[in-house]
Amino acid sequence: MTQVDQSLSKIKLLNPTYPNKATGIINGESSGLLNWNDIAYPQMYDLYQTLLANFWKAQEINMQDDIKQWDSLSETEKDIFLRINTQLASLDSLQTPTMTHVMDYVTDSSFKAIFAVISQQEAVHNESYSYILSSIVPLREQNERFDQAKEDPMVRKRNQLILDSYEAFRENPTPQRLFELAINSINLEGIYFYAGFAFFYHLARKQKMLKTSTMISYIQRDEMQHAYFVSQFVRILLTENPELNTKENIQYVYQTVDKAVQLEKEWADYILKDIEGIDIGEFHSYVEYLANKRFRQIGLDNFYPERDNPMEWIHVFSDEMMNETKSDFFEQKSRTYTKVSSSNGFDEL
Amino acid sequence: MKAAIIYSSVTGNTSTLAEIICENMSKYTIETDLIPVDEFHPEQLHNYDIVTVGTYSWDNGELPLEMEEVFEAFEDEEVKHITTGIFGTGDSFYPYYCGAVDIFRDMLYVHTNLAVTLKVELTPQEEDLHRCKKFCDRLASEFAVVS
Ligand SMILES: Cc1cc2nc3c(=O)[nH]c(=O)nc-3n(C[C@H](O)[C@H](O)[C@H](O)COP(=O)(O)O)c2cc1C
Repeated sequence: MTQVDQSLSKIKLLNPTYPNKATGIINGESSGLLNWNDIAYPQMYDLYQTLLANFWKAQEINMQDDIKQWDSLSETEKDIFLRINTQLASLDSLQTPTMTHVMDYVTDSSFKAIFAVISQQEAVHNESYSYILSSIVPLREQNERFDQAKEDPMVRKRNQLILDSYEAFRENPTPQRLFELAINSINLEGIYFYAGFAFFYHLARKQKMLKTSTMISYIQRDEMQHAYFVSQFVRILLTENPELNTKENIQYVYQTVDKAVQLEKEWADYILKDIEGIDIGEFHSYVEYLANKRFRQIGLDNFYPERDNPMEWIHVFSDEMMNETKSDFFEQKSRTYTKVSSSNGFDEL
Repeated sequence: MKAAIIYSSVTGNTSTLAEIICENMSKYTIETDLIPVDEFHPEQLHNYDIVTVGTYSWDNGELPLEMEEVFEAFEDEEVKHITTGIFGTGDSFYPYYCGAVDIFRDMLYVHTNLAVTLKVELTPQEEDLHRCKKFCDRLASEFAVVS
């Protein structure tokens, strides 16, 4: 049995006497060699391929339209735009090193590979915020804005929750702390981004700064898949290590996510209050709806009242809309059927 | 009367939904087989009066790879007389929410007697239980005896 408070040992690169297919995602035996055709959780191969197929980079998006539009934004919109941009960048900066750090303690090579891809994608996200900034304001202002994000008490308070957990794992990498890190990473990727996303998609609804929101769309899609992966990781971690699957830890999830929900609401109150067209009350319900989804993804019950998505316009653009030029990894089948609906005599529930 | 539920699921949302639907079907005393996609053979379709298909969505609202065989089975086999329902789970943050359900819907409408479709966000919630019941009501009503 795993001792939940016993440090995980940093794993050797190659352990030739162990099997290629890992016996556990932590504290398992694994040779370190990865043969994707012989892995403990075969669904991870599909996910890995899908993540790779998402590959994109900031420079593929031509910012000319946004550069031209920038001056037509109101002063408030400009200010919020820059603050959200640097705040999101500061969140993503935490993810790249943390994901590579976690890799050192995960014994299943297929999971390690996915953490590596996630880490790479976070690096791209980070760069894309810089790319947006460099398109619209000079370096001096960029730096001022980053300093502003660093000093903003609200931003610090939000980040602190995550940082404490990430630091705790860094200090003493135990299974318990890995579990807590995973929950905090779900908060970061799955909750903390959404007030920011709401702002950019809101501009998009008004046909403003569409190149930025295209980039945000790419980022959101990646983040959704990271949250899907980390949720799976948590479920497998708890299943393989039943001593982590305790009432206290379930309570920990509810409490920690609820704290993130409160902080996201507070952040929205502060950052979105002057944005006409975003109803803050509605956004509060939205964050609860969002958190319920995160609970269900890790196999828990809803914590907040059940409700339909109150802000359906916060979602990833379609590939067509993002004007995707890269060819898809899986050839998309062209299908020949005409679209039908309930007017054709069946019920749509 | 016999029914089948053919489904695919990775993280358990669609399989949970399939089980709820299966339970509801048994209330109509319709004998129902729950068939995970990896146990499915195209000829099996001929054993049933009602076939429901359950799928998650992937990749810009596409069918998961393993569901392609089921999709093609409906195109290739003689299934005109079969009553069908399509259900699925998805995440509405993606551009095509439950896109795989729509893809099946359009095909099943042409090749079978499509009665009903159902979309659920991730793990079914309270409200979805009622919708599952309606889903089965609708399928069973196709066979209601006119008295
Ligand atoms: C890579 C990836 C792509 C997805 N694409 C879509 C999509 O296009 N539309 C949708 O509604 N859901 C999409 N989803 C969400 C899944 O369909 C959803 O989580 C589903 O409930 C999973 O079902 P399962 O638990 O039965 O495996 C996607 C999930 C992942 C990880």
